[in-house]
Amino acid sequence: MQKPAIWVICPAFNEAATIANVVADLRRCRYNVVVVDDGSTDATRHVAATVATAVVAHPVNLGQGAALKTGIDYALSQGAEILVTFDADGQHRAENIAGLVRALKQEPADFALGSRRLGQSRNMPFARRVFLFAATLFTVATTGLCLTDTHNGLRAFTRRGASALSLRQNRMAHASEILTDIANSGLRYIEVPVTVDYTPYSLAKGQRTGDFVMILLDLFARKLHR
Amino acid sequence: MIAQAILSFLLCGVLVYSWAEYRRSPAVALLSFIVSLAGLYFVWMPSHSTHVAEFIGIGRGVDLIMYLWVCISLIVLLNLHLKLRSQHELITALARAIALANAYSATEGARLRSTEHDASIRNRADRPALRLARDASYKEPTSTVRTAAVDPTLL
Repeated sequence: MQKPAIWVICPAFNEAATIANVVADLRRCRYNVVVVDDGSTDATRHVAATVATAVVAHPVNLGQGAALKTGIDYALSQGAEILVTFDADGQHRAENIAGLVRALKQEPADFALGSRRLGQSRNMPFARRVFLFAATLFTVATTGLCLTDTHNGLRAFTRRGASALSLRQNRMAHASEILTDIANSGLRYIEVPVTVDYTPYSLAKGQRTGDFVMILLDLFARKLHR
Repeated sequence: MIAQAILSFLLCGVLVYSWAEYRRSPAVALLSFIVSLAGLYFVWMPSHSTHVAEFIGIGRGVDLIMYLWVCISLIVLLNLHLKLRSQHELITALARAIALANAYSATEGARLRSTEHDASIRNRADRPALRLARDASYKEPTSTVRTAAVDPTLL
């Protein structure tokens, strides 16, 4: 193992079709990969077990935010120095991780966030573009962070950065929550250009534009209740 | 008079509820406290409620009280929703502990299958993930030893 300190966290829910290729790419780049199977009903965990460094399986479906938190806890328990979050649906590229890790070291920062506006996005539908623009405006307004892309699944944290994240939002509101935690932690963050490939598969698995109502509700409820 | 007594009884119940709820969510408690106090006042002073109702633009005082009652129900409903959420957080913590306790690690898995399966089962309590699950105050993991856990469904 050449880079034992870098752990890639791959939350997966019913991703048996893509998980093997995604993880194999990451393993070729010699990263440790922990696949968090979020209560899939298909063979995701069995497929993942053949390629990943480790598999952690939720007994029930909890949501992507919860899966990320589980993966982060596991990676930290394995002594990870750098933690990377990576979508399992094949829209990210393993070679982009090196850029994120480099940015963490050079800056030095505790959070490196992938940005498809600084980088590229291929085949992104117009509706998704508008939706992401609105989401970015909302997040920048509520967190005060200066970012160009707030809802990118490709991020890298240092051990200290990852420990500062609370991640109590189980479902999709975690993307905003992570940024709120970054703003509150006062640690340094940096944006790094990455490429996001939109495929019919990733679009079908991804969020519906209407999901933002639930996300706003989740964020609002979090404010009311401690 | 009977109706007034029943309503007062119910509203007093809400008052007690808001008092009990204050620790968990002050905002909800305060809202229900104010609304139920107003409700109690109008139940016993219906004429005042008519004045207020006319002032706001609602026909009768009774209607005003009914609207207040709907408000209280909605607030209680909201609070129930918030409680469900915190319940769900508990479930999450539980599921996470189970997942981490049963973590499957590829290198360990290969080794276990050949020779040391029984030994690993005997040593289950020493696994970091289980310690993590057992000890809530467990903060900064120091062990870099791979967990030797194997989920039977994975093999």
